[in-house]
Amino acid sequence: MIDLTMNGLAVSVEDGSTLLEAAQFLGFPIPTLCHMEGLSPYGACRLCVVEIGEGPKSRLVTSCTYPAQEGLKVRTASARVLSARRMVIELHLASCPQSKVIQDLASALGVRQQRFKQEHEDCILCGRCVRMCKEQMAAGAIGFRARGERRSIGTPFDVKSDVCRLCGGCIYVCPACQLRCTYTEPEKAICGGCANLRPPCAGEEKFGQMMCYMDPCVACEIKKD
Amino acid sequence: MSRLTSTTQLKELRDILLHDSDAGKPSIVICAGTACHASGSKGVIRVAKRYLMERHLLDRISLRITGCHGFCEMGPFILAEPLDAFYTQVQLDDVPAIIEATLAGNVLEELLYKDPATGRRCLRRNDIPFFKHQQRHILGFSHSIDPIRINDYILNGGYLALGKVLDRAEPRWVIDQVKLSGLRGRGGAGFPTGAKWEMLAGEPGDHGKFVVCNADEGDPGAYMDRSVLEGNPQSVIEGMLIGAYATGATEGIVYARNEYPLAIKHLTIALRQAADLGLLGRNILGTDFSFDIKMARGAGAFVCGEETALIRSVEGRMGEPRQRPPFPVQRGIEGRPTVINNVETWANIPLILRIGADEFSRIGTKGSTGTKIFSLVGKIRNTGLVEVPMGMTIRRIVEDIGGGPVGRARIKAVQTGGPSGGCIPAGKFDLPIDYDSLAQAGSIMGSGGMIVMDEDTCMVDVAKYFMRFLKDESCGKCFTCRKGTQRMYELLDDISSGRGTPAHIDLLEELARTVKDTTMCGLGQTAANPVLSTLRYFRHEYLRHVVDKKCDALVCKQLVGAPCQATCPLGTEAWRYVALLEKGRFDEAYRVIRETNPFPSVCARVCDHRCESRCRLGTSGGQPLAIRALKRFVTDRAGTKAARPPRPAAARRNAPRVAVVGAGPAGLAAAHHLSMAGFPVTVFEAEAKPGGMLALAIPAYRLPREVLGREIEALLNENVTLKCGAALGRDFTVKGLMAEGFKAVFVSIGAHQSRRLDIPGEDAAGVLPSMTFLKAFNLQGQELARGRVGVVGGGNSAVDAARVALRQKGVESVTLLYRRTREEMPAFREEVEAALAEGVKLETLVAPQEVLSSKGQLAGVKLIRNRLDAADASGRARPVPVPGSEFDLPLDTLIVAISEHSDRQALSTAGLDHGRDGSLQVDGKTLLTCVPGVFAGGDVVTGPSTVVDAIAAGKRAAGAIARFLEGKDPAEQPSPNLPQVFVEPAAVAGGQAEEARRAIPPELAACERCSSLAEIEGTLPAEEAIREARRCLRCDLEFTQPKEAPEQPKVPAGAAAGETP
Repeated sequence: MIDLTMNGLAVSVEDGSTLLEAAQFLGFPIPTLCHMEGLSPYGACRLCVVEIGEGPKSRLVTSCTYPAQEGLKVRTASARVLSARRMVIELHLASCPQSKVIQDLASALGVRQQRFKQEHEDCILCGRCVRMCKEQMAAGAIGFRARGERRSIGTPFDVKSDVCRLCGGCIYVCPACQLRCTYTEPEKAICGGCANLRPPCAGEEKFGQMMCYMDPCVACEIKKD
Repeated sequence: MSRLTSTTQLKELRDILLHDSDAGKPSIVICAGTACHASGSKGVIRVAKRYLMERHLLDRISLRITGCHGFCEMGPFILAEPLDAFYTQVQLDDVPAIIEATLAGNVLEELLYKDPATGRRCLRRNDIPFFKHQQRHILGFSHSIDPIRINDYILNGGYLALGKVLDRAEPRWVIDQVKLSGLRGRGGAGFPTGAKWEMLAGEPGDHGKFVVCNADEGDPGAYMDRSVLEGNPQSVIEGMLIGAYATGATEGIVYARNEYPLAIKHLTIALRQAADLGLLGRNILGTDFSFDIKMARGAGAFVCGEETALIRSVEGRMGEPRQRPPFPVQRGIEGRPTVINNVETWANIPLILRIGADEFSRIGTKGSTGTKIFSLVGKIRNTGLVEVPMGMTIRRIVEDIGGGPVGRARIKAVQTGGPSGGCIPAGKFDLPIDYDSLAQAGSIMGSGGMIVMDEDTCMVDVAKYFMRFLKDESCGKCFTCRKGTQRMYELLDDISSGRGTPAHIDLLEELARTVKDTTMCGLGQTAANPVLSTLRYFRHEYLRHVVDKKCDALVCKQLVGAPCQATCPLGTEAWRYVALLEKGRFDEAYRVIRETNPFPSVCARVCDHRCESRCRLGTSGGQPLAIRALKRFVTDRAGTKAARPPRPAAARRNAPRVAVVGAGPAGLAAAHHLSMAGFPVTVFEAEAKPGGMLALAIPAYRLPREVLGREIEALLNENVTLKCGAALGRDFTVKGLMAEGFKAVFVSIGAHQSRRLDIPGEDAAGVLPSMTFLKAFNLQGQELARGRVGVVGGGNSAVDAARVALRQKGVESVTLLYRRTREEMPAFREEVEAALAEGVKLETLVAPQEVLSSKGQLAGVKLIRNRLDAADASGRARPVPVPGSEFDLPLDTLIVAISEHSDRQALSTAGLDHGRDGSLQVDGKTLLTCVPGVFAGGDVVTGPSTVVDAIAAGKRAAGAIARFLEGKDPAEQPSPNLPQVFVEPAAVAGGQAEEARRAIPPELAACERCSSLAEIEGTLPAEEAIREARRCLRCDLEFTQPKEAPEQPKVPAGAAAGETP
């Protein structure tokens, strides 16, 4: 067991656990976007930052990737943490305003406006899909490409992947990508699962009678309107 | 080459090499570093080689091709040994002569480096200031080593340190030595190298350990790692060998970026040669120490310089940092313990063991030992690589080694540490360079890039440049780094293109702090530094961009437009009238000038033409366009006919009346513009004639009185009433004016009282304030100067007084006394030159201490010599008296022209606030004084300034007063003043514009003009004026040129007609 201080409480957590796991175990809420149980921690969204250390040497780290260490002093909701989280979610909101997940988080953090130029991206590059594909589906069909502004997720060279089994797991874990699930425009789809699998609803005039494995399927929702 | 199997054999090899080397034999050393390649050293090498072969000189003189020497500004160069003569910017034709001279033991003095400060040739390399102030421990070898010959390295003491380490056979001792030396990582963060090694040594090495040389140098403007790898790759190999021995590492990797082909080539050769000699591989030098180095090539991602990203890149994965802990020293490449050090750190290791840790730790400062290589680039005279001990001040690097600024623009900041670093303003140049003080100042050491910036560098643009780099180079994993840099760039782009608001700056700062706080790796955490440090030291520049919509460095295009127009306080469209002049449309040209400037003919003569100072013809290395001379041509040519100034609209019914106090350029300009807006104006003037300083101070030889008279005459009309001989405070008060029914008052009484010297004896007869002297002459024709005249001061009124005195009867000589040097004189350059040509003597670096008099009559002045000290806050060098250097100068007249201020008493009685220097305090935006309805502008606010500034103040005040009287906010809404009217450009053949030389207007000869008040400068002949106008680069076209319609496919007319309905 590792002994550390979290929000002033002396606690001990299991060896090998991350700060996020420790906080969740102890009941301190930490918002996350890119983290998902069952997938390896990645630290992309920066929402789960917590403050560690003391005085001028204190710094913010992502709790999902930082291992619990003996004697560490952690604050999960200090003023610095909260103001950083608010700016992070504001940035997310500015890029991807249509995601309900992001809207809810922003709302919970008390962010009521975003001050940047509005974008409408359908991906925040949190990498959940990449990890899902590789770690849970053992496919590794998709991954990150390029860096900086041009970073994106996709199959190598944008060629239809041979290892993709069209499972749709990538879409299932996506916190932002409702727009990606436009089965009617397969060229926009990453895996093309919905289009290629011809889910039961596709091509049907009436919806609702059949069970769909993507529930709720936004494509269906959009088509309904 | 056979393998060496013991350290003794290594020493023997060295002895043989020493014996074989013919020390003292003349040799020609040519740098073939990348920078010199670019400037043509390959050609020099070819010519030298051929010459030596053809004449069979190879046994009498040797030729050595080496890596970078550092003085890249001056390449290609030849170093001739043993005399150490340093020939810079060598021409191919000079090579044989240099070789012959070296053979004969001579020096070709005329080809040697010339010190621009002294103008003298430097006989030896180390006399050159650039080299003199450096301590070249790492770079010092490069001129004696051919990087592709390991023997050269061994000959110069290479691998001695390795031999010493292997002989001693105590890895722990090596680590202790490195710890003792205090060496800190040269990659930027400054982690103690010894401590890192100790950790690696303590890790279990069952599966092997790695030492890595990080040569992924990607900062814009930094190239010291490349130069070390190119010039002395063996030193890096030796360092890594020692490191591996100390830590028990088994494998070495040099991670070099593929953009460094020469470095990779030299390193590959060096690795092979070291392996051939048995210095790499199994059982090195017969010991049981085995170690090999491989090279990994990076594809040029900046982030791969970060150690965890580097590790992933070496492993063949995407270069993307990961969370530390675990640190690479625990889990590095393939999960094995790894130490990563910078090229320069490795190159320092052999040095430490060769000279001893104690000796090493004495170089530099306590917390940061050793030397550091900086690549000094930017707006500085000597660019190149410099190696200095830690703790040297930035000032010494910039001024002594770098040779100071190239042109007249002052250096304002140094950017250290590349994109992750920050800017250090000139005020902090006394900061010693070491890891901690740089971090405190908000920057970092980084790998050692040092970009010098002067006044022509816009700090917003600098931040934007780095942010553009970072948004492309962020790996993109952390959302805040990827999106944060993009958003910061977006905000900076808004600010630099005029769309910024103060909210932009706040948001930018908040975002920058968040990015710094919430990102994971070094790149992200420092990505905000360019923004934060420029905001910290140059916030005023940001505010200037968002509030005033101005970019003073004239860099941000969307705020500047054409530089000539942007620098003119009146916003005169210089490009436009120059273009019209070129077309022969002189009257139109005149109207363009007249539109913004009520005094075209005056400004055509006495304006300080800031438009020319920033003309792109001049800033790009040529001669600026003679804009003022062209204006003179237009006003002389068209002035008389097209001068009919637009008549003002008749006064509006019941329009409120405005009083203007002072009929100088500011007052008259305000009156004119107010009358144009339909307000009846009354102008009160204390003197008998209008014109203010134009009439009182500026002598007739610069501004003929009839020209001035005509210009003023044209401004007066039924809306403007002029009342001369009425002075504020004496004849009327502001309150009185308000009571008379004036709804607004503009105070522009100028600065007419000369400042006193405040030294003993100043009240002696014969000591004259310059304004009294000039006024007496210009208004009444009195000649107050006689005998030997001294003029104290260096401004325009001092030069005017001196030149006027020279024209007075009974004057024997005129001497200008100035406390700084001629360079710093605030007077216009051409005025000073003209005064000297006429025979005025100039005594600089002197300050008056006491006025000597006999019987109340001036006899002379006691002066003390000054020397110039470091620049003060204003950036000008501060004069400091040299004790014991006093001397007396006998004089009959002493004119004091050190500065002027306004009539404080008149201001106080009017209830107006004035500062200690006598200047009136106004709101910067509205020009309102503390009394409601009373505005002020011109010299009374600014202190003595230029004509064009006064006119601009009058014009601004007119706008503010008009808005005030209409019940609006008097503050002006600033907007960028961009060119709007398209004038067809002249057809100029390519290159013709650059070749033509600047036109110089005719002038009276110095001998002719001394005795008369006739105007000195004449008008350009029409042909010359048009030719000069043709030189204009037409910066406006970028904004005004109509967008060309997309080209239509060419179809026969008939077919086209058939198609279109």
